[in-house]
Amino acid sequence: MQRRHFITGCACCGLLARASTLLAASQGPLPARLQQPEPGSDEGGLWSLLTREEERLKRSRFLLRDPALNAYVSGLACRLGGEHCPDIRVYLVRSPFFNASMAPNGMLQVWTGLLLRMDNEAQLAAVLGHEIGHYVCRHSLEQLRDAKSRTALGQFLGMALGAAGVGAAGSLAQLALLAGMFAYSREHEREADRIGQELVADAGYPPIEAAKVWQQLVAELKAEAEWSGDAGSRSIFFASHPDPEERSQAMASRAATMNGDTGDAATAAYARQIHGHRRQWFEDELRRRKTGETIALFERLLRQSDDGETRFFLGEAYRLRAADGDGARALGEYAAAESRSACPPEMFRSRGMLQRQAGDTAAASASFRHYLSLRPAAEDAEMIRSYLHEGL
Amino acid sequence: MFPCRRWLWVSFVVFLALPVRAASLAEGFARLPAGAVVLLMPLDIELFSVSAGGVLEPQAEWTEKAHANLRQAFLTRSSVLKVNFMPLPGEVDEVVESLNRLHGAVGQAIILHQSGLFALPTKEGKLDWSLGDEAALMRERSGADYALFAFVRDSYASSERVAMMVVGALLGFGLSGGMQVGYASLVDLSSGRVVWFNRLLRQSGDLREFDKARESCDALLEKFPE
Amino acid sequence: MSRWLLLFLVALLSGCAGMSKVGPGEVTVRDSLSVTPDDAWNQFSIGLTRKSEVWTLDGLPLDRLVFYVGIADGEALADLPQRKDRQVPKYRTTMQAHEIVEMYEVFATHDGSSFQRQKLAPAAFAGGEGFRFEFSRVRKSDELEMRGVGYAAVRGGKLYLLIFEAPRSHYYARHIGRFEALVQSARIRG
Repeated sequence: MQRRHFITGCACCGLLARASTLLAASQGPLPARLQQPEPGSDEGGLWSLLTREEERLKRSRFLLRDPALNAYVSGLACRLGGEHCPDIRVYLVRSPFFNASMAPNGMLQVWTGLLLRMDNEAQLAAVLGHEIGHYVCRHSLEQLRDAKSRTALGQFLGMALGAAGVGAAGSLAQLALLAGMFAYSREHEREADRIGQELVADAGYPPIEAAKVWQQLVAELKAEAEWSGDAGSRSIFFASHPDPEERSQAMASRAATMNGDTGDAATAAYARQIHGHRRQWFEDELRRRKTGETIALFERLLRQSDDGETRFFLGEAYRLRAADGDGARALGEYAAAESRSACPPEMFRSRGMLQRQAGDTAAASASFRHYLSLRPAAEDAEMIRSYLHEGL
Repeated sequence: MFPCRRWLWVSFVVFLALPVRAASLAEGFARLPAGAVVLLMPLDIELFSVSAGGVLEPQAEWTEKAHANLRQAFLTRSSVLKVNFMPLPGEVDEVVESLNRLHGAVGQAIILHQSGLFALPTKEGKLDWSLGDEAALMRERSGADYALFAFVRDSYASSERVAMMVVGALLGFGLSGGMQVGYASLVDLSSGRVVWFNRLLRQSGDLREFDKARESCDALLEKFPE
Repeated sequence: MSRWLLLFLVALLSGCAGMSKVGPGEVTVRDSLSVTPDDAWNQFSIGLTRKSEVWTLDGLPLDRLVFYVGIADGEALADLPQRKDRQVPKYRTTMQAHEIVEMYEVFATHDGSSFQRQKLAPAAFAGGEGFRFEFSRVRKSDELEMRGVGYAAVRGGKLYLLIFEAPRSHYYARHIGRFEALVQSARIRG
């Protein structure tokens, strides 16, 4: 078995990337399959640590185990990974942040915050493609070489991967810390972006979608900065990646040299797959209380699909933000939700609460009664009934 | 730098007071019956190297060896009373995982609260903690009457670190040179009670070689109630 | 190295007391609340803040009783130092029961833990009207399943909130009765 020497750098990736732009016949953008490293090597030590962490992740309470959703995302990663498909294992983790990462042993994590933010399958493909790019080029191992003389990576591995007593998917504060300490080099990021986008184009998706992922994120960050002053520098993802605006522009330019926006983004297919899961992800997103981001996100999702559920949750975001005029905004969204399909019964409860607060007792009672009629066995039914009695 | 200062004195104090070993017994429990079978739960072990910069780097290969060595040391231990350690039958599944998680929190509580700064006045220094009914599931599954849990965090100073052994670099992680921290905990599976608990905190010990791991096993099981 | 191990090291070496015995008998909590437990609890003395206290029976990694006392309009339940001001929910006197629980959820999940509110109903508390809610939570740090109960009331425009949480396995059932009894005895002073 031949042992590839990736530590010395990934010139192969650069070459193949250039080759693929000349539409090299047999090979896609990816180098050949990777061999498992020998134990005792730098790679070997990392490998067994990751294997153990993967075992832990498999048992994690935060893992999404839904077979259909897993099959869908795995299938997508598999198509993109080509020959590497058998080595890629996808894990969906319930966590409301935009994050995906791939470990050098083939373990690919995608967080639900990211799944919520994808407009379509093409965008998810772009993210997966990017991570696969890092993986096949062994970027984290190149970092390891450098970081042995810097102090960051040891802490990164220890904290991110649970050796220091953190849960499988990492605690927020610790991950924020590690992301600040460990970043792929700019060259690595560009390489992964390039490979990712090529994989997307090769698979028949519009390559412009890759740029849109970052544009969308930039918009969310700006909205949050405007609302709270938080420029997102502490965000897990952004601490470890270069400026999303810059990447988005680079990818838009590259897309123009590829097929641009031709291709099928598979928007409907994606919507179908995540349909039943979105509710929980909406609720997790609301709890973050980054209302600038949340409202920007929900408004964008609304442009994709103006349904009762999305309207309701946009209303919730306003209601929870409770800034001047938000009560009225929320009521507006609830009204829109009511006339659309898939409006959750909880809308009537929220509407009742706002109406009650505004002193509109009759309307509040009507809303609460409507909620109770739809959810007679609700766990908060007694509380709602007490609101009704109070109103008399 | 600022957060480090806070722990600077901690390290000094820790340094001065080593080594520490303390075993305690729950009320009404003196020793294991002869021939008792003790189920060896999955060991919670991590080994780190301490670089010159004071950073703890997890060492996967060492950790795997340590796991194997310590496990082997437990299982092949000779006992006058013929108290035998039994490996976990079957896979680590949700039942085992759940009990492990609970014990993790219980172990932390004992370490934090049995004595010292955070001792719980209501416990009056006694070892009085339990895993409750869930422990009985392990008894059914394995036939063992007792279970042993062990937790070890072990760091080894690199040669550069030994050379510059100054407390002051490392902090965020609170260890200076090399250090072995851990506990062993014996649970009565019929009642769920923790009947024996031993803490370990010292500067020596090596789990990477089998012979030395045996010594660590002995330290963890010092005053083991057999 | 986990926070708990660090505390372990400190704990072994210090002579002073981080935990104090409280009860049995009437205990004043943060000046304006009194409770009368039937037996002794342990107060986390080093962790006292102006408006909150933490008590425990078997230890902080296991069960916790948190008192939030006299939270005024515009105040937060606790500090979330990594967040900007607008990212921290504040108590508002116009809040209804549901909204108070929603506010609490933010603090319960800020570390990445999951949260599911269950039963929510009116209840007598602190000598008047209040509400009671149940919840379950998976703690992020060690993925331990927790169960909890909260009681709350608003008096004089201020919020009084008591939360008891413990591992679903063994500890919740073991202690919930004592918490419920303690809650019955709660009175607001002044």
